[in-house]
Amino acid sequence: MSEEVKKQRPAPDPNSAKFKLGQIAAKAYSDCVEAKARGEKVGWCASNFPVEIPETLGLHVCYPENQAAAIAARGGGERLCSESEGEGYSNDICAYARISLAYMKLKDAPEQNMPQPDFVLCCNNICNCMIKWYENIAKELDIPMIMIDIPFNPDYEVSEAQTAYIRAQFWDAIHQLEQITGKKWSEERFQEVKKISGRSSRAWLEATACAKHNPSPFNGFDLLNHMAVMVTARAKKEAADAMETLLKEYKENHEKGVSTFRAEEKYRIMFEGIACWPWLRVTSSGLKDRGINMVTTIYADAFGFIYDDFDGMCRAYSRVPNAMCLELARDKRVKLCKDDHVEGLLVHTNRSCKLWSGFMPEMSRQIGKACGIPVASFDGDQADPRNFSAAQYDTRVQGLMEIMEENKGGN
Amino acid sequence: MAVDELLAQFHEIAASPKKQLEKYLAQGKKVVACAPVYTPEEIIHSMGLVPMGVWGADQKVGEAKKYYPAFICSIMQTVLELGITGKYQGVSAIVIPSLCDSLKCLGQNWKYAVPDIPFIPMTYPQNRKPSYGIAFTKAGYERVISDLSAATGAKFSEVALADSNRIYNEHNAVMREFAEIAADHAVSAAQRSDVFKSAWFMRKEEHTAMVKQLNAELAQTPKDKGKIRVVVSGILADSPSLLEIFDKNEIRIAADDVAFESRQYRTDVPEDPNSLDALARKYANMDNCSVLYDRDKKRVDSILELAKRHDARGVIVLMTKFCDPEEFDYVPIKRACEAAGLLNLNIEVDRQMVNYEQANTMIQTFREMF
Ligand code: SF4
Ligand code: SF4
Repeated sequence: MSEEVKKQRPAPDPNSAKFKLGQIAAKAYSDCVEAKARGEKVGWCASNFPVEIPETLGLHVCYPENQAAAIAARGGGERLCSESEGEGYSNDICAYARISLAYMKLKDAPEQNMPQPDFVLCCNNICNCMIKWYENIAKELDIPMIMIDIPFNPDYEVSEAQTAYIRAQFWDAIHQLEQITGKKWSEERFQEVKKISGRSSRAWLEATACAKHNPSPFNGFDLLNHMAVMVTARAKKEAADAMETLLKEYKENHEKGVSTFRAEEKYRIMFEGIACWPWLRVTSSGLKDRGINMVTTIYADAFGFIYDDFDGMCRAYSRVPNAMCLELARDKRVKLCKDDHVEGLLVHTNRSCKLWSGFMPEMSRQIGKACGIPVASFDGDQADPRNFSAAQYDTRVQGLMEIMEENKGGN
Repeated sequence: MAVDELLAQFHEIAASPKKQLEKYLAQGKKVVACAPVYTPEEIIHSMGLVPMGVWGADQKVGEAKKYYPAFICSIMQTVLELGITGKYQGVSAIVIPSLCDSLKCLGQNWKYAVPDIPFIPMTYPQNRKPSYGIAFTKAGYERVISDLSAATGAKFSEVALADSNRIYNEHNAVMREFAEIAADHAVSAAQRSDVFKSAWFMRKEEHTAMVKQLNAELAQTPKDKGKIRVVVSGILADSPSLLEIFDKNEIRIAADDVAFESRQYRTDVPEDPNSLDALARKYANMDNCSVLYDRDKKRVDSILELAKRHDARGVIVLMTKFCDPEEFDYVPIKRACEAAGLLNLNIEVDRQMVNYEQANTMIQTFREMF
């Protein structure tokens, strides 16, 4: 997604990672439109559905969560949410789902259009809300639904039983898609896809790990934008190239002592949760104005999909955020905080996302304790602008900053 | 025993789970708490342990707020609250399935909020029908068995499970029979709820015996006509204040699609030489529930079918606030009712509700349409 602040800026450098990443995101939509126009079947796909499957099969899919984020970032969140509510959907339902269900009905949103689906690819490793949302789409549009169930894992490791269950479903999904679309799975192509996905992942992990430098060579809000490409397009060659460019830029930034964080970096925090897309500018400048750089988020770790074989891939999809038990989720964050010398944790209590927010108070307490850092939270929503208060955000960030300052031995 | 006396007994048990817990503990039995929506109670029962349902209580939330944000359903909030405040003291373990996002969080919070009652996860597959799904259910059960043994020292045997499967099937049958009898006889909404609710706090063989007696007595009473027949759907329907509104307005629950009530009793354990396989197949055969993957929304058809079969004039959805699985299903339910010419109401409920004015008005208006 390219939710760029609309300011007059010099034309972007076409060789920059930012430009390349923006192009990839835009191309995903236009490729889908073209495929549909050629008469190919296109799908709507859950963000953490194993992208290797559509990619290996050569299917074009678009991502309702990305679309909803783009619509919300461009100011259409409330309009589409209200549309769904008018249909009878409760405003307690995840705003991505509300926006998507409204779009299915309206079939047009100037903020971000995409073709209507011929099938849906659902995977509930991020939430079970996804299942209900996609059921409703599949039923209403009367199209096939491919459902890969990756259960929330209560354990630290992924069990053999869980791996076997996921493996069987992957093959089932592949066979169903072959039937629906007439395309064929090729082992050779899968190996290629795996390799490219690994390349993107390694570059991403290394790039985000550049936050260990002081100051960090990037503004963590970059990650919120770039992660969409990581999630959905990491198996494409252009994505691997772009991620490698990103890494190169961050390394160069570090060498030159510059950063995409355009202020003096006085404090370093981890941000927890999905961005507040409708309030991106407010939330970002609330930090920047205070010299607070959000140097990391769980996305930094989460999208490193590096695995050796098919089973490894099955396990990797069990370890996405929201599929992990508290201890594993906590330890990953603690590591990021320590590696990146984080001084505070800012938690977005996201009204849309029950699973992400439902054990966050306890987990963030444990992270705060393990790292000896203060934790602050604010109420918001990733796509419904009505659930955020700028004043509360400001107060909470200010409070967090004051403790960080005290911890520095200031005053 | 007369019908009234029997119903009073059900009420007594439904209203005082704590007493039941103490009774079983005093008998030297070990009790295992079972969180919504489905848990393999048969396994717990077969190991000589007493499964008791924990679906929260109508009360305020205080301590649980340290763990859950406000937008999680009141069932989860109050289950956690009761745990933190020691109301489940004496319970040996809690089994929590991960059938919805809020339940996933309950398990994670439980470990830290109520550390003295071990958390046993039950991970059900959503793709429950293919053989790989059945195998995964079975693996989940095996995990529950080993965790239960660790928590209580109890042993598992397939022979004992076969017995428990039979006991549960028999209980299912009497509960289904009760629901049918209650649809046509003088049983108030509140009394109907007591019969369902008490089932969660008793060993099933004891409950079966009581319900059998009740069914026999009720069958001999004259049919009770002249009320507005409805189907009630939702997660819970046990609020006394709400049920009173049903009764005051002469609304009869002719059938229910309530998770706490009939959804539990629709599916029997099938015949199978291996009792654990049989139980896994039971889960595979379950359908028509908002927390079970349902591409075709067969649940919606099943509600219409239920209404038709029971001559119901409308469908009343009791929507547990913040229950997203049910909130998603509501729209297709509403549309289907409208298409079938069935009136439908969506009444939002939660366990902190004290003011039932809005529900009252809605139900009265509904009543006046006939
Ligand atoms: S925001 Fe949360 S509930 Fe909504 S789709 Fe994403 S993971 Fe699911
Ligand atoms: S009421 Fe709904 S949200 Fe709450 S635990 Fe039950 S199914 Fe989950």
